[in-house]
Amino acid sequence: MKIKKFLFFLVILGNILLLSGCWSKKELTDLAIVAALGIDKNEEGRYVGTMQIINPGNVAGGLQGGGGSQGPPVSVITGTGDSIVELSRRASRKLSRRLYYAHTNLVVIGEDLAKEESISTILDPLERDAQFRSTAIIVIAQGSKASDIVKVLTAIDKIPSNKIIKTLKFTEKTWGENITVNMQDAVKMLVSPGKELAVSGFRLSGDVDKGKKMENTQETEPSSSLYAGSLAIFKNGKLTGWIDGETARGSVILLDKLNASAFGVKWEGKDEAIIYELIRQKTNVMVKMEKGKPRVSIEVQAEGNIGEASVSTDLNNPDVLLKIEKEIEKKIKKEITMALKQAKKNKSDIFGFGDALHRSNPEAWKKMKSEWNDVYFPEAKADIVVDAFIRRTGLRNIPHQVNK
Amino acid sequence: MEKAKISLYQLFVLIMLFELGSAILVPLASDAKQDAWMAILVGMFGGLFLFWINYRLFLYYPELTPPEYMQKLLGKILGTFLAFCYIILFMYSAARVLRDFGEMLLTFAYLETPLFIVNALLMLVIIYAIRKGIEVVARTGELFFFFIYFLAITGFILILFSGLIDMNNLKPILEQGISPIARVVLTQSLYFPFGEAIVFSMIFPYLTNKKKGKKIGLFAIGLSGINLAITMAINIGVLGVDLTARSQFPLLSTIQSIQVAEFLERLDVFFMISTVICIYFKVSIYFYAAVASTAVIFKIKEPSKLTYPMGMVILFMSVTIASSYAEHLKEGLKFITTYLHPFFLMVIPLLLLGIAFLKNRKGGPGGGF
Amino acid sequence: MSLFSLSRKMKKLKLQKKNAQQQNDQLSKAIHSSLQDQINYIKEKTGNSIDIVIRKLQLKDGKGPDVAVVFVEGISDSKAINDFLIESIINKSTVPSSRPIFEILFEKVVALGDVKEITDWDNLYLSLMSGESIILVDGAQKALSASTRGGEQRSIEEPGSQVTVRGPRDGFTENIRTNTSLIRKRIQNPNLWLENMKIGSVTKTDVSIMYIKGIAKDEIVEEVRNRLKRIEIDSILESGYIEQLIEDQAFTTFPTLYHTERPDMVAGNLLEGRVAIIVNGTPFVLIAPAVFIQFFQSVEDYYGRADIATALRFLRILIFFISIIAPAAYIAVTTFHQEMIPTQLLVAIAAQREAVPFPALVEALIMEVAFEILREAGIRMPRAVGSAISIVGALVIGQAAVQAGIVSPAMVIVVAITAIANFATPAFAVAISARLIRFGFMFAAATFGFYGIILGIIILAIHLCSLRSFGVPYLTPMAPLILANMGDTIIRLPLWAQKKRPALISSDNSNRVGDHQKPSPPEGRGMVNSVLEKGDQDEN
Repeated sequence: MKIKKFLFFLVILGNILLLSGCWSKKELTDLAIVAALGIDKNEEGRYVGTMQIINPGNVAGGLQGGGGSQGPPVSVITGTGDSIVELSRRASRKLSRRLYYAHTNLVVIGEDLAKEESISTILDPLERDAQFRSTAIIVIAQGSKASDIVKVLTAIDKIPSNKIIKTLKFTEKTWGENITVNMQDAVKMLVSPGKELAVSGFRLSGDVDKGKKMENTQETEPSSSLYAGSLAIFKNGKLTGWIDGETARGSVILLDKLNASAFGVKWEGKDEAIIYELIRQKTNVMVKMEKGKPRVSIEVQAEGNIGEASVSTDLNNPDVLLKIEKEIEKKIKKEITMALKQAKKNKSDIFGFGDALHRSNPEAWKKMKSEWNDVYFPEAKADIVVDAFIRRTGLRNIPHQVNK
Repeated sequence: MEKAKISLYQLFVLIMLFELGSAILVPLASDAKQDAWMAILVGMFGGLFLFWINYRLFLYYPELTPPEYMQKLLGKILGTFLAFCYIILFMYSAARVLRDFGEMLLTFAYLETPLFIVNALLMLVIIYAIRKGIEVVARTGELFFFFIYFLAITGFILILFSGLIDMNNLKPILEQGISPIARVVLTQSLYFPFGEAIVFSMIFPYLTNKKKGKKIGLFAIGLSGINLAITMAINIGVLGVDLTARSQFPLLSTIQSIQVAEFLERLDVFFMISTVICIYFKVSIYFYAAVASTAVIFKIKEPSKLTYPMGMVILFMSVTIASSYAEHLKEGLKFITTYLHPFFLMVIPLLLLGIAFLKNRKGGPGGGF
Repeated sequence: MSLFSLSRKMKKLKLQKKNAQQQNDQLSKAIHSSLQDQINYIKEKTGNSIDIVIRKLQLKDGKGPDVAVVFVEGISDSKAINDFLIESIINKSTVPSSRPIFEILFEKVVALGDVKEITDWDNLYLSLMSGESIILVDGAQKALSASTRGGEQRSIEEPGSQVTVRGPRDGFTENIRTNTSLIRKRIQNPNLWLENMKIGSVTKTDVSIMYIKGIAKDEIVEEVRNRLKRIEIDSILESGYIEQLIEDQAFTTFPTLYHTERPDMVAGNLLEGRVAIIVNGTPFVLIAPAVFIQFFQSVEDYYGRADIATALRFLRILIFFISIIAPAAYIAVTTFHQEMIPTQLLVAIAAQREAVPFPALVEALIMEVAFEILREAGIRMPRAVGSAISIVGALVIGQAAVQAGIVSPAMVIVVAITAIANFATPAFAVAISARLIRFGFMFAAATFGFYGIILGIIILAIHLCSLRSFGVPYLTPMAPLILANMGDTIIRLPLWAQKKRPALISSDNSNRVGDHQKPSPPEGRGMVNSVLEKGDQDEN
């Protein structure tokens, strides 16, 4: 009796397992792993998606067959449609495999598209989709089409999307004019009334058609290559301007995202005579109401070492270091002021002062919320206090002098 | 009633897993915005009170199951009817939880698979477990509890180390005063998940130590409440209020954001694993309560014979109760918690406790008039 | 039709049983009085088998009745028979007419320790066939049996299974007496009780249960005794026969009795209150009740350091899971959850899979089945050919299959890890059930990915939780949790911290170590200081 029941159970289970037939099953050999997705708009106003698809055999070199690395590591296909989902599905007509977005770590948005319409229309399907990861990084194609950025082959990192992501990550860690913003961050900033979106741009140098060819990666100095560009400022989801250089770095400081950088200061009459290698930085932003107007107090603390000293100075002397610190503080303050000025000019609160006000004074925020970017933010006064510390001076104390 | 013994620790584990069950999945108390964690905590205190009511009621009749003492308190017909209502409620809740789970699985991992199949597989496993008896369920609980907690703590540490939590998202505290919290507590977090612990009255008679059961139960509810509150606070800290409220499964989104040391990322599968386990326990306990109550009311000697038919009913109910996930949620968060739950989870137990108190004051314990 | 034939069969069976019973009645009847009749009857009964030696003797002085010594050559100790039986009957026996010869033989002549009087044929055959010598006397309706059991047997060697680096080197043999002696030598206590019974209607195998009175739970001993008594079978050739007949649940791949070749392991288990079942003719001793975690413990854990033993036990649990779900996880990852592995790894695997024409499940099945074949061949083949198998295996599975594009290198790695993990599981009985379960998990993974796997794990957990061994839940002390016994599960506490015997297994007498057993350095520093001082003085 017991055996009968057991068998019955087994038969039912077996039937369910076998007849149900693996709906969600997707074999690896049937997948087209999309590494990057570029989105543009064409002249007819339709979306053009450019998918960078990994060619596994050509990436994982040295495997069976040996000569696998002949072809390009990625292939690119495009799809056109009135919506993102449509363009993606339509692209399947050109592909023998199923597009698989779970490993899409990069989304490139064309500059024209970002200027024309709010990017939230693009982000919605990406956010909604179960395959798409919210940790995918977003960049804006600066001065070119998104498709151009996606199409160019790169040398050291074989998969171009990896190259872009890693470039952004490392430049953020060492220089600090760019930030990596992933989809989730972007959506959060788009949604919040007290903070506007700022995203890094990526540029293409050289010719796209050359960049598409394998020869491009076989040169020591590729004729067309990709590099991190400026910082794109958004307002209401639309691209309103670019900031770069020291202004961009000031913005990154204000966003409290600066990890490390190098600041050159004037010393004994020589420009950039002493280079300060910043290793740690913390920014605190407080917004308070004063006489019905918001007042921002910004406190920046920086720690770092001396990386270069080209004028003779007694770096053993703490007093001298103190003076250098003052110079550094001035420099940082200047960059922050520049960033503030630029953002105010664009009437776009990319620093999240509005959110800070929301936290400290919810009632006042409620009133200002609707006109924050246009009215209150540009008028907000800011007090900037910078504390820079020089911790060490490297392996040498006093710089060497020629023929002393 | 089967001959089973449930130890205090097993009760603790079952309550914990039950409470965490589906509550950890959904945007719980998200109407309270950044104060959701507070609404959960307040709901937890209410839940403690509800649990106390049920346990007090049980202590009047420490050898009887709820259907039996309902019959004793309200008379044969009315008591049976009420017990029957509870059976329906338990089955419906089991179906709801199963549906929650199926929707979760379908939305994020098994898009093309029919809901029925996904639910049926889990339901078969649950039927198998219930056939083996509540003791076995409790023991599996002990096994998996370590595992779930291990996953939870690992997840917590990972989220902490990936620096995703922004405490600023939790501010300003009490932006709109207490009223939104009170509303959320009274319409949601008090009953779901804390009030649902009423199913455990079916399990109390098996306890080895009936005196200490109350303390352990209260402790378990308290701890699960704290866990849920922490989870929700982390969700909001990572995702922000807006994204948490817009997410179907905020915890999933939180876990998807983890990126530590370049390889500890894409951890969705662990979320799925722990959810399957938690849901298995929640449905099992509801299902067990329904089966055991039915066996008691209809005086069926072998409750295991009920498992297949009742399991199938729950399975089909889970597929048919709503045509879309939105409808399902609307039913759950608006209809159930505003009409059904207050009545069945609060009013009736209070009423029963009152009657029991009066009866036992006049007569001896369990003696009646 | 089939029902009819079945009932006919039953009738036949009953008839046969009846016949057997009649024979039994005949057997157990009293011994003949004439020596010649006795000898003839033995010859008839044993079919004149040539290994049955019947030696007629005359007493020393030639007077008195004739005597015969009967024994089975090969299973009895011929030296003892010659020296203490035949020799003494021929040379020492004198017959005073006052007392019957039989008593004289019993008391004065037979120079052996264990001599019994036998009155019926039944017992006579039992003792004869177990190696004892029978002394028949003309005119007496009884016989003497002298314990001359012996014959060739394997010497005590290191056990082939359960090898340890540190620990005693002796292992059980096929002889039940040797085996019980090995245990007795370790537990020199009168409370170590031994009960014997003969099981098997044809083989009459000696089966002993051994336990420590006062530590073992009486209910469990009683249960073991009853289950053994209940057995009705023709033969017991190995302890596995017993195991299958007294298990709590038949439909499971998991062993609910522990078997071992190591006397120290049996002694350790007896001291925890368990019962050992020793079967003649096999070196494998059964231990009941057994719990799941026991199969992940090795005796060496107790001999070595506690921290290292704990780490090893964690490793073994990990190994068990790897050997169950590694291939299933590979299938799930490559066919359902490609999103869960890092991009680089996915690309690497995808590149390997590119050339493979099969779906992942088939690929995994091919490899797993090929490996199982290899393993089975490796075990059954004569040792000399074994190396050939490993060469073929390494070449075919390791390399050729990959180069031929039938499987991907990643799959080979997965199968290899699974196989090694399976070998590393300390108890073969669990390892082999993991081997079987693995295939179930592979199918589950192929149809539902990780959802299938986790459902499989839940089913496995339910199954394990529902198992019992002699009434003791299989997963004690983890589920139900018994904190006092958690010190000897996945974690092993130092011996001085393991204060209690297993709660559900041993009787109430459960304390095993005294208080304050934690070792510590001497309190005063006198010893050390004096030496140091001396050193200082020497320097001066």
